[in-house]
Amino acid sequence: MHKFAKYCYSTFIYLFLYIPIAVVITLSFNNASRSMIWKGFTLRWYTELFHDTNLIIVALHSLSIGVIAATLATAIGTLAATSIFRYRFFGKQFMYGLIFVMILIPEIVMGISLLILYSLIKIPLGFWSLLLAHTTLCIPFAAITIYSRMITFDRDIFEAAKDLGATDFTIFRKIIVPLLFPAIVAGWLLSFTLSLDDVITSYFVAGPAFEVLPLRIYSMVRLGIKPEINALCTILLLATLMMVLLAQSFLRKKQ
Amino acid sequence: MQKKIINKINGLQKTIIIICCFLTIQAFAGNREINVYAWSGYLPNEVLQKFTKETGITVNLSEYDSNETMYAKLKAVEQAGYDLVIPSSYFVSRMIAQNMLHKIDKSKLPNFKNLNPLFLNRAFDTTNEYSIPYLWGTGGIVINSKYIKEKDITSWQDLWNIKYKNQLLMMSDPRDVFGVALLILGYSINDTNPQHLETAYQKLRALLPNIKIFNSDAEQTIYIDEDAIIGMGWNGDVYISQQENPALKYIYPKEGFILWIDSLVIAKNAPHLENTHKFINFLLRPDIAKLISETTAYSTANLEGMKLLPEKMRNNPVFNPNPEILKRGQVQVDISGAIPLYEKYWELLKLGA
Repeated sequence: MHKFAKYCYSTFIYLFLYIPIAVVITLSFNNASRSMIWKGFTLRWYTELFHDTNLIIVALHSLSIGVIAATLATAIGTLAATSIFRYRFFGKQFMYGLIFVMILIPEIVMGISLLILYSLIKIPLGFWSLLLAHTTLCIPFAAITIYSRMITFDRDIFEAAKDLGATDFTIFRKIIVPLLFPAIVAGWLLSFTLSLDDVITSYFVAGPAFEVLPLRIYSMVRLGIKPEINALCTILLLATLMMVLLAQSFLRKKQ
Repeated sequence: MQKKIINKINGLQKTIIIICCFLTIQAFAGNREINVYAWSGYLPNEVLQKFTKETGITVNLSEYDSNETMYAKLKAVEQAGYDLVIPSSYFVSRMIAQNMLHKIDKSKLPNFKNLNPLFLNRAFDTTNEYSIPYLWGTGGIVINSKYIKEKDITSWQDLWNIKYKNQLLMMSDPRDVFGVALLILGYSINDTNPQHLETAYQKLRALLPNIKIFNSDAEQTIYIDEDAIIGMGWNGDVYISQQENPALKYIYPKEGFILWIDSLVIAKNAPHLENTHKFINFLLRPDIAKLISETTAYSTANLEGMKLLPEKMRNNPVFNPNPEILKRGQVQVDISGAIPLYEKYWELLKLGA
């Protein structure tokens, strides 16, 4: 009986999590442009989606911002985590605290403050403003992911390396980065997804000539959910799933 | 030495550098472009591609989902960089009053003559100095003829019939809903008199038992799936919905109805004035206006364009009512001062629901 209850409970949790996603995927194959009642199978929405060049351009914008921002954020995050872990300096605890605060700050505050900053120092809204904002948004998440892996390290390794004459840079390159690799990949993926689905900050800092996908989807959804959106969401879901699987298999091989 | 450095730049870094260069070039592409901020779905791809093909000017399109979103974005940054925006009538008047728009040079718009005079010189911009009507539509009554006879419904007042208990869909917007009550009472939909609004509120309270849902986002789905069988609706939505559920009918109530007009305007500080005028003139071309109307399923304010549309659209009273009916339509103008009052009664109304 006890076991049964346990299974029931977890089944419900998974149903609760995945039913909405299943609904979106199902509706993306529904042969009806507005109705939510099943009217037969079709791939029409996918073909229509692929003919929408404008949407594809916007999707490419989002992907390029996502890739660059995630890469920058992971690089900076790795350095931040390393310095906090390895070195002693004035204000270290304070800096560590600041990174945490960045995670907790509501995104809307971040969006508005960035917008004010940009208009103060006259950075035009567009690619660069978005890239800066997304990198800033992702850095704390990447740094924390990487740092939490780092604290499991045995500090003696570094001592041993130093004894054998390794410089700080060699230690970083030959020991820290390889050991951290799974965490770096995880941090990158986390940053990438954060950047890819960010609406609030993007709304404030996106410019007229460079729109990103979440904003486009958001404005489309408000005026009635078109089945193309369901198709787009299904594709995005598949793409993220593939990425996670790839990363998993890659990491397993590495180990 | 140099070779070593180049070797050190591995594949990943190379890709990033290439992407960066590409994007920088794109960002400084310069004057062969125009930045458009439009309602979601208002500018079909085909139209933009045609324009680029003919003129070599690229159109950067961003979309918004409400007038408020657009207004906030333009208000927040003075040099926002947008050229062309498409606000609704009452936002046109507000933006003119706040000096947010640039005057349109009509000498650069030879196609201006194609517009339907019915939509020109309206109260929100009496001389069309700042705005060019683009798409329009009406807000009337939707019924499902499977359950309700078409001839039973001729006026807004019919919605109050106790027969329709818990079956109505009303818009989720204070101005749209109060507009209905004000029309029945014989006032203007732009009325700001507190006493009139109080009476309108009392009138709407009496309607509450009949209202099943307040919704402005998914009315098409709700009517198609017959979750509501009577209520308010926009003609464009009904026109689309009829293709999936032919039982849906649209009625122009005798007291009058809401007429919305969304207009092309140029933002103050627009960086590409010349191109923007070219683009507006392009949109005013009959064949382009026809294409837009066909793709978006919204009625075009372009008389010549309307004539080019296929007969089943042009002669469909839902899509294109005759001028006699259209005269009963009222356009919303900005009533900034009275909005708190509307909001107050709106809250009270929804609390009672």
